[in-house]
Amino acid sequence: MTPILILTGIGCALGALIILAGKILPQESRDFKRVQRIAEILPGMNCGACSYPGCFAYAQALVKDPKTLTNNPCMVLMQDAEKLKSVQKILGITENITMMERKAFVHCGGDSEDICQWAGSNTCKGVAQRHKGYKRCPFGCLGLGDCIRICPQNAIYMNEERRVAVVDWDKCNGCGLCVAECPQRLIQLVPANTKIALLCTYTPIKNIPGREKCDVGCIHCKKCVRACEYGAISWNTKRLTPVFNHNKCTLCLKCVEACPQNTLTACVDGKVRVSS
Amino acid sequence: MNELLSVFIGMALVNNFILSRFLGLCPFFGVSKKLGNALSMGIAVTLVMFLASVVTWFIYHYILAPFNIEYMKIIIYIVVIASLVQIVEMTIKRTNATLYNSLGIYLPLITTNCAVLGITLINTQENFSLIKSMVSALGGGIGFLLVLVIMSGIRERLEISDIPKSMKGLPIALITAMLLSLTFFGFGGMV
Repeated sequence: MTPILILTGIGCALGALIILAGKILPQESRDFKRVQRIAEILPGMNCGACSYPGCFAYAQALVKDPKTLTNNPCMVLMQDAEKLKSVQKILGITENITMMERKAFVHCGGDSEDICQWAGSNTCKGVAQRHKGYKRCPFGCLGLGDCIRICPQNAIYMNEERRVAVVDWDKCNGCGLCVAECPQRLIQLVPANTKIALLCTYTPIKNIPGREKCDVGCIHCKKCVRACEYGAISWNTKRLTPVFNHNKCTLCLKCVEACPQNTLTACVDGKVRVSS
Repeated sequence: MNELLSVFIGMALVNNFILSRFLGLCPFFGVSKKLGNALSMGIAVTLVMFLASVVTWFIYHYILAPFNIEYMKIIIYIVVIASLVQIVEMTIKRTNATLYNSLGIYLPLITTNCAVLGITLINTQENFSLIKSMVSALGGGIGFLLVLVIMSGIRERLEISDIPKSMKGLPIALITAMLLSLTFFGFGGMV
């Protein structure tokens, strides 16, 4: 009998101690509960594209200053209208934030021939530091898959035939991690409904024309700029490449017809059929 | 004084909880990925060890021993440790939410951390006085903290080094732990 009584007594005493501690300690703030609720809604893959260390830290920043949602948006959250609304409800924001569905796209057609062999570290970053890579085109995809390794969704795969990274738009949720990862700056976020794929970001330094490099290389003819009736394409005079304003684009595909190369190609859901 | 020092060194280095007694391996592998987290986890475990040692000393000498129910010590110690962990968890949750979130499941798991139960049982077994059990708990906790910090430092470097694919993650961590254990073996015979 005594052991049972003692065990019960000790248990009750400690239970009372916990209750007492709960009363004495500073109460959990209301903010913390909001942080937890927001953190549950956020994607939770801790990709870090918002520059905060993980989704929980981002939720904390949101509660601290709701303006973070517009100043430093979570790309994944922005694509889901329902979740965005519930986060706004918790934060008490009523203003209508437009949803943007964006996907990553690799602006390179690949298939540039090798001009030397590379035997160093097997990362694009390492290769890009030495003589701009080992391919004839110094701007193309290096095909070593830094973006594949960083993608939290496993949405990027390697097209072995053309040695170029391709984003699977079914899996991509537009977090934008690969944009910063690519040392060639080939990956950009484009609207998910776009039908035009720009397959070259090549800049003609030292007057080497693009057509000698590969079959989808931009030859800087400006035909696409002239073809566009809506002013959606402007010309980057520094890099000599077309720049798209996706808000003005009506998807008429006139620029694709005008392009003498395959640089501008029609695409559906990010899938491009490159005819050589 | 010399005796206390030898108890401290013995607990912290010679009979280190993780590397010599192989207790508390769960947080050792779970929380040793980042230096900051490892440090706070070590401090939390040290605190719980210290409090548990003091409380269980009183319970053993004033309740269990007089009633001759020493065989009840394991279950009672677990009750004590569980409630102490509850209080520590509550304190961390209400004062530092970020730390609470990063410690995650490992904080409540201190409850069943065998290092904490181990120190209370060892104190009882060795029949330490109150001061001695406090010192041994501190030594054990600081040894735990030390190993956790060393391990997290190594694992942070391992993250960026070129490891064969099959060895990535836990396997290389276990090998590292083995090498660490071997180095701590060198302290043997000091006390």
